[in-house]
Amino acid sequence: MGLLALGTALDWPDAKKQAHLVRSWGIKQLLEIWNKAKGKERDAMLWGDEVEYLVVKYSKDKPEVLLSLRQADILQALASDKSLSKEGCVPPLPDGSRPQSSQPPPVFHPEFGRFMLEATPGKPWGIEFKELLEVEPNMKLRRCIAKDHMLPNEYPITLTTFPRLGSPGVFTDPFYPVSGPRLRSQFVPDEIANPHIRFPTLAANIRSRRGRKVQVNVPVFKDEKTPWPWRDPTVNYDPHQWPEDDDVRNGAAPDNFIHMDAMAFGMGSCCLQITFQAKNLTEGRQLYDQLSPLGPIMLALTAATPVYKGFLADTDVRWNQISKAVDDRTAEELGEKPLVNDRWRIPKSRYASNSTYISEDPRLRPEYLDPDLVIDESIKQQLLDGGMDDRLATHFAHLFIRDPIVIFNEDLKELDLNKTDHFENIQSTNWQHMRFKPPPADNSIGWRVEFRPMEIQITDFENAAFSVFMVLVTRVILSFDLNFYIPIKKVDENMETAHARDAVLTRKFYFRRNLFPTTRASRSPGSGSGTSTPVPSRPPTPTGPVEAEYRLMSINEIINGTAYARDTTSEEQLREEEDTEGDDFPGLIPLVESYLDSVNVDVATRCQLATYLDLIRKRASGELWTAARWIRHFVARHPAYGQDSAVGEGVARDLVEAVVRVGQCEARGERFGGLSVCAAEGGGVPMLGRLLGGFR
Amino acid sequence: MTKILLSTGNIVSGGPSIIRKPGTFRSNLELTNSLRSNFLAAQEDYAAEVAQSHGGAANGNGSTTNGTDANAETGGGRPTASAWTASEDGILYVPAVHWDAHGLQEEPAHYDITAKLFFLPGAVASQRPRFAGEALAHVLRELRAPAVDLLIVSFPGMSFKGDCEWEADRINAGQGNDEDEMATWPAIEELHRAGLAKKLGLAEFGSEKLARFLDKVQVRPAVNQINLKNCCNVPPPLAQLAKEQGIDLLVHSDCTDILPKGTLRDLLGQGLGGAGLLADSETGTGGLRGDLTPQWVVKYTAVVRDRGVIENKGYFAGAELADE
Repeated sequence: MGLLALGTALDWPDAKKQAHLVRSWGIKQLLEIWNKAKGKERDAMLWGDEVEYLVVKYSKDKPEVLLSLRQADILQALASDKSLSKEGCVPPLPDGSRPQSSQPPPVFHPEFGRFMLEATPGKPWGIEFKELLEVEPNMKLRRCIAKDHMLPNEYPITLTTFPRLGSPGVFTDPFYPVSGPRLRSQFVPDEIANPHIRFPTLAANIRSRRGRKVQVNVPVFKDEKTPWPWRDPTVNYDPHQWPEDDDVRNGAAPDNFIHMDAMAFGMGSCCLQITFQAKNLTEGRQLYDQLSPLGPIMLALTAATPVYKGFLADTDVRWNQISKAVDDRTAEELGEKPLVNDRWRIPKSRYASNSTYISEDPRLRPEYLDPDLVIDESIKQQLLDGGMDDRLATHFAHLFIRDPIVIFNEDLKELDLNKTDHFENIQSTNWQHMRFKPPPADNSIGWRVEFRPMEIQITDFENAAFSVFMVLVTRVILSFDLNFYIPIKKVDENMETAHARDAVLTRKFYFRRNLFPTTRASRSPGSGSGTSTPVPSRPPTPTGPVEAEYRLMSINEIINGTAYARDTTSEEQLREEEDTEGDDFPGLIPLVESYLDSVNVDVATRCQLATYLDLIRKRASGELWTAARWIRHFVARHPAYGQDSAVGEGVARDLVEAVVRVGQCEARGERFGGLSVCAAEGGGVPMLGRLLGGFR
Repeated sequence: MTKILLSTGNIVSGGPSIIRKPGTFRSNLELTNSLRSNFLAAQEDYAAEVAQSHGGAANGNGSTTNGTDANAETGGGRPTASAWTASEDGILYVPAVHWDAHGLQEEPAHYDITAKLFFLPGAVASQRPRFAGEALAHVLRELRAPAVDLLIVSFPGMSFKGDCEWEADRINAGQGNDEDEMATWPAIEELHRAGLAKKLGLAEFGSEKLARFLDKVQVRPAVNQINLKNCCNVPPPLAQLAKEQGIDLLVHSDCTDILPKGTLRDLLGQGLGGAGLLADSETGTGGLRGDLTPQWVVKYTAVVRDRGVIENKGYFAGAELADE
């Protein structure tokens, strides 16, 4: 999570005065690296995954489960253990020896939440297929090492959110009272955030810039006995300690919404992010654009976030909550007041789906671009003057409409063009679902693209499956030169659609009908080959209306293809389908399989990859449940649940216990199969088969 | 006697022909579809050329048209064969290949190039050394590479079917023709020694056949490709032998009878979807006459080594037309 420089962080009124300076220095640093790195060529395909954990405190014989706030101690323990001894974490091979790994020890990072931890592999992954099989053991190793540096009753778990974060009573260890000066939240204490000055400042300055607390409102799930209209019973309308305490009296907490009021409710969510290194600038821009329409699809497919602050939500994913939790727009920027002091209306939060396509791909039609894009024209002009092309200049001129939130006084003394700190200040607080990353100041690594929408999954098996799947999808995109372009506005719509309960099964998403070129490329070599062809070229295919290029598809159809979806859809649903005869979509998994058929893969690797693809296939078809669905069922069938949307302490405890046990089972290398082995420890984990199937 | 060389060009960005459809595993659809679409593209290119020159007759890129003059009158609106095919050194290229337009984008050293050569059942086994040399030469010319990294040889009459345990391995032991296979291998070894194929491989060899084979060869295969895609259980004897001998077991999904005679006639014939090169006595359409025998197919792929991107993939197929 960004940079952790030390220094004196400016409070908002002071930071605001320096915003322009930081932006202008940031642009100079960007142009410096642009000129250094625009010609970089032939970087290898390297990629990395980031897994984020919640640290919970759980005991078999305790009636509650708490978030542990010992992040600093745990990181300290990890940092002081130079060897990060793997002894306890790597089971010996059958012959008694220790398996050799090319990987240096994993790296652990702090996160915004003081109850969170992030772990990345010790070095990036390559594209050797055998290497893809190292991902899952490495994820298990990371979790094991993390656990080894915690107290016996602390566990790193991969739920996206803690089900009772912000509920009345005690939910952290140690306990702190709510409503501190930084967050001014009536639900969570300031101590919920990483105490490093950057994080509380980030939260405080977002609140301060916005002029009130953030409003994270999630529609509540209406169950049989949920009172309606539903009024969040945990909201306190009486406090008068901070000016922001007026927010709830001014309508911040509408009926039928779970109300939350702090950055921690969003940035305290765990996700699964993948970063790819492209061979050059052009390929990076291509990947950025082509992966963008897949964002909402992968978000819905990995849905894992149905509970907030002790209540079942009517949405399945974390995305919009994070978006609202860091929304620093003023009333003027939001369009609630006439523009007087601010420069423009801004349609989206800093955390939102992408607003730009950045490739110079001739297939990118102007109609795909966001007509409401806000950019800083003077910054764009500086970038153009500095030699950047129009499209990329537009992208960065869009990111740079934002103010820097955290500014360290020490960094303002002089501009250092051998650093990218000011550029990164703006870049890394634009949390869009894709991120286009220039090389670092020393130009030592290549242009990279980060894929950010996926939700973290409960097991490392699933996290490895989704990571590897996305890696293979990038190879398919580049090999087959696929075209996923649809208008950005439709990607935005899809992002909203992805939030619906069970969107993976019940909703449809705009998706491009034909991913392939309309004319064969083979007889006239494509761009970049540098060879011209003597073959007379046919007249360019006329382009039809943009609306004809895409249609609504189910996730089953997008992932598995129309034919498979037809075979696995109930007759009832089929009758409702429009006739899509003759408009068959191939499906991402069949495309991945076509790719694998064309490369040399050994039997064992192919079998393992097939298992990952099977998991994803079944999640998309509904044969297996998303984590969100599984959690809903867990809550619904719990004896302490009153069908009133409230997820009480007992239910939350048992849910976390189930997740801890699944993790223990996986760590020991045992089969999930109904958790029958683990059932010896006190009852099986219900419906686990629906989540994980017969895998493992 | 006319030799015919069919080619697909680079199919990797060629669209639907590379997509696997459910229920078509082990199929040769990729080959036939991509041949068909390459023929069509070549014919369309010709049509465009004609349109550009206001309907004037084009002269097929200056190639001679010795064997195909009879086909000058087109049937069903198809362009003249001589316009989109080419005849050079006694070989009819279907379609004409513009070698200078091809090649890899980067230095050949950046690629993993694999060629898989299928010897077809109808061809004479004694001619395989010639087939192998020709097939590999076409691939190297197409990719403008000095060598392939892996040359896999697939002999006819072999499969790896049945449940993937012992059964398939047992049946495999009696398949193929050990004698012919052993007689062919020295020619393959020669390609290796000549530096044209860095490693050699086999396809569809079960444990017994493989053991017999290893006993007799000089240059040992580094790879054995088997079709076990839907089954993760490698027959234990094969797994063990491969491990002991240091042979990589790779997966493939190719059909062993990749270009049957009837399929080739359909591809080149006057029927729907055919290229319209063969004479048809029923309709009286003119064209090539004689007995058409597919002899070999070679599939090639060039994958950028450290990026996992397939840049080029395609097929050549060799056939012979015997005069009546």
